[in-house]
Amino acid sequence: MRRVVITGAGVVSPLGDSRAALHAALCGGRSAAKPLELFGDEKLGCTLACEITDFDAQKYLGGRNLRPLDRTARLVASAARLALEDSGFGVETLAREAVGLVLGTMFGSLRTISEFDRRALTAGPTYASPMDFANTVISAAAGQTAIMHGLRGVNSTVSTGASSGLQAIAYAADLIRAGSARALLAGGAEELCFESFYGFDRAGLLCPSNNSAPVKYPIPFDARRGGFLLGEGAALLMLEDASRARERGAHVLAEVKGVGSAFDPSRGKDDGKAVAAEARAARLALEDAQLQPASIDCLSASANGSLCADRREAYAIADVFASAARKLPVTAVKSMLGETLGAAGALQVVALTETMRDGVLPGIRGLEETDGDFPPVVASPQNRRVDVSFGLVNSNGFDGHSSSLVLARPSRR
Amino acid sequence: MNAEEIRAAVKRAISTTANMETAQIGDDASYKDDLQLDSLTILEIAVGLEYEFQIKIPDEQLSEIRSVGDTVRLIQQHLA
Amino acid sequence: MKQPRRMERRVVITGIGLVTPVGTGREAVWRNLLAGRCGVAPVEAYDTGELSVHRGAEVKQFSAKDYLINTDAETVGRASQFAIAAARLALEDAGLAPDAVEPERVGVSMGTTSGEPLEIERFDDRLVNGELGEVGAEFMARYPCHNISANVAGEFGFGGLNILIPTACAAGNYAVAYGFDALRAGRASLVLAGGADPFSRITYTGFARLGAIAPELCQPFDRNRKGMIPGEGAGVVVLETLAGATRRGARIYAEVAGYGLSCDAHHMTAAHAEGDGAVRAMEEALRSSGTRAEDVSYVSAHGTGTPTNDRLETVAVKRLFKEAAYRLPMSSIKSMIGHTMGAASAIEAAVCALAIQQDCIPPTMNLTEPDPECDLDYVANEARGHEVNVAMNNAYAFGGNNSSLVLKKCEV
Repeated sequence: MRRVVITGAGVVSPLGDSRAALHAALCGGRSAAKPLELFGDEKLGCTLACEITDFDAQKYLGGRNLRPLDRTARLVASAARLALEDSGFGVETLAREAVGLVLGTMFGSLRTISEFDRRALTAGPTYASPMDFANTVISAAAGQTAIMHGLRGVNSTVSTGASSGLQAIAYAADLIRAGSARALLAGGAEELCFESFYGFDRAGLLCPSNNSAPVKYPIPFDARRGGFLLGEGAALLMLEDASRARERGAHVLAEVKGVGSAFDPSRGKDDGKAVAAEARAARLALEDAQLQPASIDCLSASANGSLCADRREAYAIADVFASAARKLPVTAVKSMLGETLGAAGALQVVALTETMRDGVLPGIRGLEETDGDFPPVVASPQNRRVDVSFGLVNSNGFDGHSSSLVLARPSRR
Repeated sequence: MNAEEIRAAVKRAISTTANMETAQIGDDASYKDDLQLDSLTILEIAVGLEYEFQIKIPDEQLSEIRSVGDTVRLIQQHLA
Repeated sequence: MKQPRRMERRVVITGIGLVTPVGTGREAVWRNLLAGRCGVAPVEAYDTGELSVHRGAEVKQFSAKDYLINTDAETVGRASQFAIAAARLALEDAGLAPDAVEPERVGVSMGTTSGEPLEIERFDDRLVNGELGEVGAEFMARYPCHNISANVAGEFGFGGLNILIPTACAAGNYAVAYGFDALRAGRASLVLAGGADPFSRITYTGFARLGAIAPELCQPFDRNRKGMIPGEGAGVVVLETLAGATRRGARIYAEVAGYGLSCDAHHMTAAHAEGDGAVRAMEEALRSSGTRAEDVSYVSAHGTGTPTNDRLETVAVKRLFKEAAYRLPMSSIKSMIGHTMGAASAIEAAVCALAIQQDCIPPTMNLTEPDPECDLDYVANEARGHEVNVAMNNAYAFGGNNSSLVLKKCEV
């Protein structure tokens, strides 16, 4: 069967715009959370977010006209530029070969959709913006990025909530295994915007920021946790057919060894079913990788500080790993990056490739004591030295979507 | 409003939407040939100007716009 | 010669569920399409007053409660209601009781253009009226587009793969392609695949602003065609492996033999002038399905009715099929049901399956004056009995996304 390897990554995040910068920030225990600058409203109960301050896409995209691109598309196009550079795909290669793009995003740009609609409402439909309309489709960012960089292969978008990015990587990996593509950028992106932020705030899912709130920051798995903070960013990985990568002497970061996904038909309402779906996704990924749970050296959790979601994930980990869970170090990068929705799973994969490279697993920022309400998770606020041959990434959505991915360190020759 | 003021507004709109200096925009520049603008950008510029001048240009006339000059003339017509 | 695929690696369509502007349910819709019935009428969903166009293709007399048994229809958006209804109809059509399948092996793969736009429209109404405080937890529960696939699985208790592919006007093909690949890779035993979109003022306003909407009718390939007619609906097909379908004695409509996806990487709303991307997608669909161009019996065109699309689509088909293009019937059912957005290519894929099963091709209606630049056989105005062994379903979307799906008569 064809093998899928990662030969480069592009990252645009509140903790840096390279794999190395991201890893250094995570290992330094740096939180991206700070008061919102992009927008504000006195009705918001949460006023903190992991925002990319002064994001300037021009820095990555040169003198190109960026007016047609909204923030989401700029994040994606910038990450794509970085990923293409990191993996050594130049203009000549892109002209010769149809490289694809599979992007995970929960909303696309809800800001663009809403602004288009509001302008039509307030000024009349005659004055609605044609350029904005082109960006109201959730697949717009992927389209804009393909135009900007000449990506003529399969161009697809996946929207499964906070698991979108990991699902996109799995989708792309499967295309390569099936022989439908040889090289694809895959990952996810999400922008911070008032409309989606407000929606999450009204749903009571975010850490409240008022002075009396005990916990204003996300502390995954901690007994005191009280919700998540939203973040934004984009991460794209260059996935290649392993033989193509070998032929061109590419530097391999990791291998996508196995993927799995499952759905909780109670849509998140039933604990038992939710845990079962997460466990199933992880088991399917392990089966796909032909590995036993005990072979996994570390786990990058989806946990973001939510009371319910973190608990369920802990139960799922215990269910899948059983006694092996006692020796399985777990990290939760959303403690520092926040919940970046569509970008989350992809950022986790990038972070894990860095851990594979230098053997350091970032601690969970702010963690004091894991909640006794669920099976113990081997987690610590301190970094840990880990020798990672195989790592597992979990990515769970809000309405029942669950996906897992097994990464393998490239074999030494 | 005289033609010069309208032309200046048109150039400003092109400058913002297409990310170019107004100095690069000739008084009767052709959108496709001189400025290399695509159809969506041209339409965006036109709608932005409709909004600015609070006029409504029928679709058939909009699709005939080819140059800065055309645009200025059309706006003048609708302001009159 | 290419190795014939094992039955576990072949995928067939065994059930069809449709919610469209010309009716609900496979039989009614197919009958109406063959009769040339048109579902275009003055828009009722909202007031199009200020625009210069006012007609659309809406789903009429749809009672969600008739199809949503385990889901409270009031708690989900319109696209989800359509999707659940089409899924229920498809399962019934396939002769599958939801509890007769292993729920963890049933996947749901849906496509959409705007998801649940009515929810953001309501949000915007409130924002504009200074009533933002009225927005509650329901916004985040209802709006995100992944809810379409989630709600389908929730209705039937399915716990397998679940994905939402929002690749706009080509989404249906992408969703079917995804399901096809998943079955072949053994990631599911059954996949409900399709697309759904509700009528939306955002969509209607946008296309009107682009000057893309026709004032009266959708007239694909006609010399006087003036544009598309936005619509709404859902199409779902039941996909299973040939091995699985044979084991349970299922009625097979057609085999999904292959597909091709490409990107123009050229322009957000206009297709490539020589149809490069469209040709590549068709070529890949033929290659992956082991089909020669001259073996294609019917093409279900994207055929939106805009001056540009129909001309460029004709160019692309001629480039690929060459002389054979002139003997190849190609019709657009958008002439009757308008452009149902994310549902379009799913409904069209189902129609291709029916064309194959019944050796009958639906017409392109409203084709009264041929366009010299569109000089192929568009099956004008009247359905035609015709041996359909291989059908190709083409769909194109914003961002230059091109998709082609190849369906064949299933030979065992």
